[in-house]
Amino acid sequence: MTEKELIGKVQELRQIKPRKDWVLSNKVSLLGEDTGFTFFPYFKPALAGLVSVFVLFGLFGFSQNSVPGSFLYSIKKITEKSQSFFVSDEGKTDFAFNLADKRMEELTRIAGNNQVKNLPQAITEVQASISEAVKNLSSSDQKDLEKLAELGKNKQIAEQILAAQIDSEELDNAYMNLTESLIQDLETRTLTEEKQEILIQMKELFELGDYQQALELYLVNQQ
Amino acid sequence: MANYKKEFGKIYDQYINKIYRFIFVKVSSEDIAQDLCSETFLKGWESYKNNPNIENPSAFLYRIARNLVIDHYRQKARTQFVSPETVPIIDPSQRIEENAALNSDMDQVKIVLADLKEDYQNMIIWHYLDQLSVPEIAKLTGKTEDATRVKLCRALKSLRERCNKSDHFTS
Repeated sequence: MTEKELIGKVQELRQIKPRKDWVLSNKVSLLGEDTGFTFFPYFKPALAGLVSVFVLFGLFGFSQNSVPGSFLYSIKKITEKSQSFFVSDEGKTDFAFNLADKRMEELTRIAGNNQVKNLPQAITEVQASISEAVKNLSSSDQKDLEKLAELGKNKQIAEQILAAQIDSEELDNAYMNLTESLIQDLETRTLTEEKQEILIQMKELFELGDYQQALELYLVNQQ
Repeated sequence: MANYKKEFGKIYDQYINKIYRFIFVKVSSEDIAQDLCSETFLKGWESYKNNPNIENPSAFLYRIARNLVIDHYRQKARTQFVSPETVPIIDPSQRIEENAALNSDMDQVKIVLADLKEDYQNMIIWHYLDQLSVPEIAKLTGKTEDATRVKLCRALKSLRERCNKSDHFTS
């Protein structure tokens, strides 16, 4: 065998190769992971975008249980603000009442947990949400009247838990204006004796400044 | 650390075949070659983590592999060769008869090569298989280029003599 032939035979040994699956599995076990993929894809724009979306959804989800004064509360407010853009004009009153109910629920949670330092912000939030909810109510819309009455009841419950009054000039004015309009409307109608009696009681309550009671009296007798 | 992993991953991809072949030719067993090769890269990775400024990764890995093979033979006397059927040689040739003849020649060369002195084996593998130049081998072994050239000639001569003595190549 010549030297050239021998070298040729030796070079044929280049065909010796490890199994591909072993090469890969050994690399993974050595370096802990396939280095082609990094768990934190900060530098991969597409994946980074996807992760951001997940993080945002996660934050929005967690923020829904937050209360005024907590870290995620501002995110919750932003979420609600964003949702309000997608609400139709007809649905805006319902949406505002739901928010007012939420604010009062938050307030009662804070009061129940004795989170005293969060109370002022929670009360401010309740007042602002009530103010927003009672805008543009109409005495001729039975649903508006029912919602107003329900809001008033919820506010009373919150006040009982809080053991303090929540001042809301807008709510008081709404009660006054709507009840006044209602009474004026009833006076123009022909009423049964029973209804006339109710109207008289409503007027008395109105004179005493108990607008809420006057409205509830009307609603109870409507059913 | 993630960056080190990525860099060492590249070294792994570049040298895994060469280191595996270097070990396999010496131990003639797929299992042992895999074990020693894994250990080579594990030791390499552990060193690399502490000092990533390795000037010559090739020399670094060959040195580890060489020491591991020496340790292997120190611990366990070499008593067996793996039969040609179990040796995973990837052959691109399509003709079965040619394949059989080729594989048979390869196995014989491998057996003869494995019987050479360790220094001679390394010379043959590095120069004719891994295509390292004489200066590169000199750097790897810490010898002068002249001394390396002489050793390479002796290694080839020794291999040729052994092949000529082998029944397979003379028949």
